[in-house]
Amino acid sequence: MSDLGYIFGVAIVMAVVTFGLRALPFVASRWLQSSSLVKRAGKFLPLAIMTLLVIHSVAGAAAGHSNGPWFEITAIALVILIQWFTKHTLFSMLAGTLAYVVLRNWIA
Amino acid sequence: MQSECSKDPLSPLMLTMPVAMGYIPLGMVFGFLFVSAGGQWWAAIALSVLVFAGAAQYAAIPMMAAGMSMGAIALATAVINLRHVFYGLSLIDRFPRNGWYRWYMVFGLTDETYSVLTTLPKDTVPIKMLSVTALNHLWWIAGTALGALMGSQVKIPLVGLDFVLSCLFAVLMVEQWRNRLFSSPLWSAMLAYVAASLLSASHALDIAIGLCVLASFFVKHRQEHRVNV
Repeated sequence: MSDLGYIFGVAIVMAVVTFGLRALPFVASRWLQSSSLVKRAGKFLPLAIMTLLVIHSVAGAAAGHSNGPWFEITAIALVILIQWFTKHTLFSMLAGTLAYVVLRNWIA
Repeated sequence: MQSECSKDPLSPLMLTMPVAMGYIPLGMVFGFLFVSAGGQWWAAIALSVLVFAGAAQYAAIPMMAAGMSMGAIALATAVINLRHVFYGLSLIDRFPRNGWYRWYMVFGLTDETYSVLTTLPKDTVPIKMLSVTALNHLWWIAGTALGALMGSQVKIPLVGLDFVLSCLFAVLMVEQWRNRLFSSPLWSAMLAYVAASLLSASHALDIAIGLCVLASFFVKHRQEHRVNV
């Protein structure tokens, strides 16, 4: 993460892709509304991607110590429960992170 | 605020206060984690200035730390931000027709900016919508700068703080689940990840995302109905 060309390359690639997506309806609204593939992907992918990101980041964290994945599963279950019932994003994240930090630093 | 038009009493600053309360801490977490992962403080700020997409920027941290290809990062960014394609559809008629600020407002169309702009009355003047977008961008950059500068000064001895990202993804997953039209994306993603990690553990995420894109084209959505929670 210290190669200048790489950092700016990534920044520009991400900027172009993000801007392109946000601008698409302003330049191609008719095509978008009629494309069933885009509609399907748009409905299907958000939940799938979030699920993948959760699994992937949990797997990554669990690989870093000897008590995985039980600490990760406990903390994520806590986040899911609190978010489901309170809808309070920052509070859910804080509780999950706190639980995980306690488990990793004082229970292991 | 009293002096403003009574029909539309909130100033852009007040309108963006709830966003600031989310963007500043979340931006700080981004800046802090980016620097902790080995990035430069100014690179974190540059990303927030140029990209302005929370979840995608978070996802980019481990990908950049692992030196993944720009193509893979572009695909992940596209997939994470795909929903933004649909945001403009409800704002086309309300955005100014011409000028640089039209395209700046398109650039700044994050989840939060979209939420604020769509709640404004139909006859809101462009300068006000532009101010909302710019202020939100500013909160995100300010949070990033604070976090990045903290990250380069402070070494926190606790392990596990970066788990906040997993928690963020879990929160977003819960909200996607709450508003789901059907449940197959969840099961498909789980299956795809298992299959992908058997194929190649080091590219599991990329492969699984590819599998899910394919699945979205082929999975038959029987009767699509909104699930009541």
